Amino acid sequence: MPPTETLRAGSGSGERSGGNSEQTYIIRQSNKCYEHRDSQATAMSVNYSGQWVLLAGRGYLALQRLGQDDGTLRRHERQSKYEVSVAEFAICPSRREYCAIATSQNIDIVRWGPAEPHYENSLRGHTRTVTDIDWHSKNPNLLVSCSIDTFSHIWDLRDPRKPALSLNAVCMSGATQVGFNRVSGNLLAAAHDGDLRIWDIRKGSCPTHYITAHLNRVHGINWSHRRETCLATASQDGTVKYFDVCNPRRAEKIITTLSPVWRARYTPIGNGLVSIVVPHLGRGENSLLLWSNSKQTDPICSFVGHTDVILDFAWRPNHENFTEIELVTWSRDRTLRVWKIDDTMLKLCEPSPDEDEEGDSPRYETELNELRALTPPEFMHTLQPRPMIAASLPIAATLEPGTINLPMARSPSFGGVYARREETHIARSLTDQPTCSLQHEFSLLNTNMPHVDVDMLCAIKRYACFKICAADHTIILQVTFPTSYPSPNVPPDFQFCQGTTLSSDVSSVLIKVLRTNALQRVKKSRSCLEQCLRALVAAMKKRVTAVAGAGADRSQLLLQSPRLEGALSSALHDACIPFPRTSGVHFNAIGMLTTFAQVMSTKRLTLRQHQAITPRTLSAINGSGLLGNVMATKTQRDPNASFYLQERMIACKRLQGKQRVMRQINGTTPVVHVYDASQLLHINREMAREFTLDKRDIAETCRRNAEICRKHGRSDLLPIWLLAELIATPHVPHESMSSELLFYMDPFKKSLLESLIMHYASAGDIQIAVLLACLFDKCPAALKDVMDVNSCPRLPAQLHSQLSPYHTVLPLDFKSSSQARATSGNLQQLKQLRSNSWSDSLDCLDFKLVQTDAYACSLIRRAKMPLFDQFKRAYADVLFGWQLLSKRALILKHTLHTPPPAQGVEFVTECSGCAKPKRTPKCEPCKRPVLFCILCCLPVRGAANACISCGHGGHMQHMMQWFERHDVCATGCGCSCLQRTSELLALIS
Amino acid sequence: MVSLLQEIDTEHEDMVHHASLDFYGLLLATCSSDGSVRIFHSRKNNKALAELKGHQGPVWQVAWAHPKFGNILASCSYDRKVIIWKSTTPRDWTKIFEYSNHDSSVNSVDFAPPEYGLVLACASSDGSISVLTCNTEYGVWDAKKIPNAHTIGVNAISWCPSQAPDPAFDQRVTSRNAAVKRLVSGGCDNLVKVWRDDNDRWIEEHRLEAHSDWVRDVAWAPSIGLPRLQIASASQDRHVIIWSSNADLSQWTSSVLHTFDDAVWSISWSTTGNVLAVTGGDNNVSLWKENSEGQWIRINYESGIAIQSKQPHNLHNPQQQPQQPSNIPMSSDSEHSSNLSNSNLSNSQLSN
Repeated sequence: MPPTETLRAGSGSGERSGGNSEQTYIIRQSNKCYEHRDSQATAMSVNYSGQWVLLAGRGYLALQRLGQDDGTLRRHERQSKYEVSVAEFAICPSRREYCAIATSQNIDIVRWGPAEPHYENSLRGHTRTVTDIDWHSKNPNLLVSCSIDTFSHIWDLRDPRKPALSLNAVCMSGATQVGFNRVSGNLLAAAHDGDLRIWDIRKGSCPTHYITAHLNRVHGINWSHRRETCLATASQDGTVKYFDVCNPRRAEKIITTLSPVWRARYTPIGNGLVSIVVPHLGRGENSLLLWSNSKQTDPICSFVGHTDVILDFAWRPNHENFTEIELVTWSRDRTLRVWKIDDTMLKLCEPSPDEDEEGDSPRYETELNELRALTPPEFMHTLQPRPMIAASLPIAATLEPGTINLPMARSPSFGGVYARREETHIARSLTDQPTCSLQHEFSLLNTNMPHVDVDMLCAIKRYACFKICAADHTIILQVTFPTSYPSPNVPPDFQFCQGTTLSSDVSSVLIKVLRTNALQRVKKSRSCLEQCLRALVAAMKKRVTAVAGAGADRSQLLLQSPRLEGALSSALHDACIPFPRTSGVHFNAIGMLTTFAQVMSTKRLTLRQHQAITPRTLSAINGSGLLGNVMATKTQRDPNASFYLQERMIACKRLQGKQRVMRQINGTTPVVHVYDASQLLHINREMAREFTLDKRDIAETCRRNAEICRKHGRSDLLPIWLLAELIATPHVPHESMSSELLFYMDPFKKSLLESLIMHYASAGDIQIAVLLACLFDKCPAALKDVMDVNSCPRLPAQLHSQLSPYHTVLPLDFKSSSQARATSGNLQQLKQLRSNSWSDSLDCLDFKLVQTDAYACSLIRRAKMPLFDQFKRAYADVLFGWQLLSKRALILKHTLHTPPPAQGVEFVTECSGCAKPKRTPKCEPCKRPVLFCILCCLPVRGAANACISCGHGGHMQHMMQWFERHDVCATGCGCSCLQRTSELLALIS
Repeated sequence: MVSLLQEIDTEHEDMVHHASLDFYGLLLATCSSDGSVRIFHSRKNNKALAELKGHQGPVWQVAWAHPKFGNILASCSYDRKVIIWKSTTPRDWTKIFEYSNHDSSVNSVDFAPPEYGLVLACASSDGSISVLTCNTEYGVWDAKKIPNAHTIGVNAISWCPSQAPDPAFDQRVTSRNAAVKRLVSGGCDNLVKVWRDDNDRWIEEHRLEAHSDWVRDVAWAPSIGLPRLQIASASQDRHVIIWSSNADLSQWTSSVLHTFDDAVWSISWSTTGNVLAVTGGDNNVSLWKENSEGQWIRINYESGIAIQSKQPHNLHNPQQQPQQPSNIPMSSDSEHSSNLSNSNLSNSQLSN
């Protein structure tokens, strides 16, 4: 197939550098553009020399020539029904024709001969799709691959039959990215969901570090080209984080974008980083951004031109000019573009000298210069800042001669970096004249400061280094003293170096503290070092505790694994979130049951042999999903689309029986069943509606209720109503007198009734329990009816019943009350009989007397009444749910009136004898009335009123009469009661 | 025993995680991983009356408030938010409050008994519990947080039913004590914890240890007033445990209801507190009932219809049990029980 690309290179290469004043960063268009209209490549790689770009898709491999003779395209068909998930050219020069191509579970090693690609090996070992490959940068025989099966395999091409080393991450989520350390090659990072595992390949049994890097899946890992322990990660959660594996607890720096970041890679030279941002839903700008490593707020440059999601990018060394590099990008818009990152742009990546950033620039500048001087040009594109220090692999049989087996530096900053820094300072100090005052200051410096360790003091190089440990954090502080120090306004330069465990915002605050302190001192040409250090320790303690204050609760938690702890500190991780319910039950207030159950097809996916039961965390689902095919499915989860659908679709693909699963998906549209379980709870709305509580003839009522039960198939209740009927029938010896009174005193009936009610209540049949309780309960209202029936001539007979053996009749302790007086003599008799049978608190005399009547005329003992009232209220709630409001009211009428807790203004009178607040007109212990009317000076028993302001009051009638004509208090206290009271009431409400 | 009233096709685009009927049983609310809450008429299988969109992630649970506050629904989601919805008509819902002060997924919400006012408790995977109290007069919500309620995360929350235990012989107004609010929560630390509101501060009253894996659901049994309290807890360890206590809540005893085949994650008590519905990872729904001897018996539940258990030892199901006099808890007075035979009642009559 002929190459179809049209060259838009020349036209598009014009630079529109950021003349736009609003745009703070440069916008740049591509220098070259190759179109591949018919290509569906999913993977791209640039070879060692930078001449060829490999585009790999489902059915073919294509090599696109870059450089002078543009347009050469070699295209080769290949037999595979799977997409290429990743393709990588080897990065060592000795294997420059080789590339690794991963499809499905296999990795093919392809050697590009002059004409045909030659399939050398097929690496088989993974059981699920391979997601990433990375070549070792030192040992040409090694490459690492990672897969959804959670394993990362390291392969040695001299023995391709099995992995040389298998790294088993025991976790639910598959590995999505893997990368060899670029500096030593000993460390290896693999991304599992949002977590990173750092392995040391010399010790492959378990990861050396866990980093809970992101809240969401990590899409890209890139190790720093210079610093052995540093790497950058790009994630779905929209951030790029810089980590130092020695300090895995927190990211050193964070770039935050609004959209998921697909890739982030360090620039091989300079101090930059390029990221691909995937816009939401495929809309928006497909931004390719260049960032400075020292400035995370704004990008340096934006590369525009692609119209669809950028799938991958690679660096192409520029052989003509070593100060610039080229960026090759492949996008879903099927264009391959080449962008130039020149010297000016790289310079912009360097931190500006007046910024309080880490300021690696001079170091790197010199470093690069050294390198350029030292290394032959071919070495440049291997992107090794220190190519002479290459660590060997234990499994590597052929060690390059002269390699030094470098043990992993625990703190690399003290190794190479400082040494080099010294050199630059030597250079500088040779030209400048060191003043002896610095020497003097160092000699005077108290080296026993708490929390401060002096690492280095060098007056000649005008440089000092301190390690400050306070509040669980460490700061490596480097102070450089300008030659004119301490002349006014020339403060020393402070920098926090590698190993500092503070977040960047805290660091900047602390740097500010240092500078202000230094400035204060040097204004008067005084030395400032010690004061600055002390201020720093103080500020650090304060600052860190303030910051940690919010998270202090969490830090107390003792967690077994760093993974969990990290999850908590990052506060959102699916590992803490329970596995979603696929089924559920719920009873509502009236006994209706809702249930649903759905088969989750992903469950089958996640359930492997070792998981007999449903996983417990949500991460089980997420981990099983694969980003995999970028071309076909969206990489971004659509907020409106299915949370699991993506996984389900993948499940379809994976479980070959596509149709079967598809049908299942259609079948599992969630259905909710609504049941009426009220029968199970022995409550029935129809019966509730029909039951009567007619008390004129209780026996008859019982018969009618029994009939209702029979009608509704509750024949088990028939004997109970029969029993109730018998209870209701008076068994009094003197039938002629037919005393209501004696009927209510039958001790056997009381106990029987109580037992019945309690039995049904505890069996859950609240309906029948409440009905029985209500039927044999006498509410005061019903009592009146009884009074009407029992006419006066019967009174003597009732008096006769004082002979009842169950009650002791005491001589006249009759407590009169206006309410009691109003009722008939019959009632008074009752009170006389009953009032002493329980310890009466006379404080609430009026109220209680009424209740006493209720107890007296009831077959329910008083002790049980509050409990039965609870039953009635519970049943009333059910009736409320059934919207049988009148029935509910009827039931509630049978409950004792318990006044709701008083709210707002309440009258409390204080007894003059015992000085205790009383709510009743009389103080019982002191036997004296508590409230006297201010007008008539008599005790008040009935309605009373008082001024809220002055507290004076009395009989309601008297108060009304008084205030008809007056505004001020009758006592002459001077209070204008009406006005003040209304004011106070307005205030309260 | 249990009759199917309606089958409702929710037409959610994704999995449903909770379905709940309102107080009257008229409206059904479902929530799903598609981020929406849908309202249905419970008696008609028609289209959703309303679809409440406001969450950006799967919605785990919904809860209805007592109707005395109006038609109020709370939903909690993976997106760390709790949203409280209110409707004037069943089709017309508005968001009245959004609470987003959790740092992780909110897994469970429950409205307090109406006696306490409009109060909502939320359990989150950030390990904390929030109690949101609404000042219904002004419509202002006040939040109180129990930090570190459970290590790793809180999975479920449930309120203690409000008890107004009227002291039998204490009618003095001075001894009126406000009802104590209590909560029960279950979390990833395998614990069930009982919390008590003590002067606006929630203190851990009990920690109940028996589960060996994450507690997935807890439910405090509604009380009809009997002096006993029960809590059911369901766990990843496939057990449902019933915790019982006497009225003063000083001591909790546990008994394992059953060991299921798979993790159990949803339990619900009936109104009267004597039937427990359980479901879990195996998607089977089972109903359990306590008989008069205190044993829990499964009521078989096949193809949507619960039928009597056919197992021989389960024959005596309470409601079908003949009313033997011995089953009636009699008062201690032996005289009275002996009188039973005198009152023209034979056993045969009783047992029907």
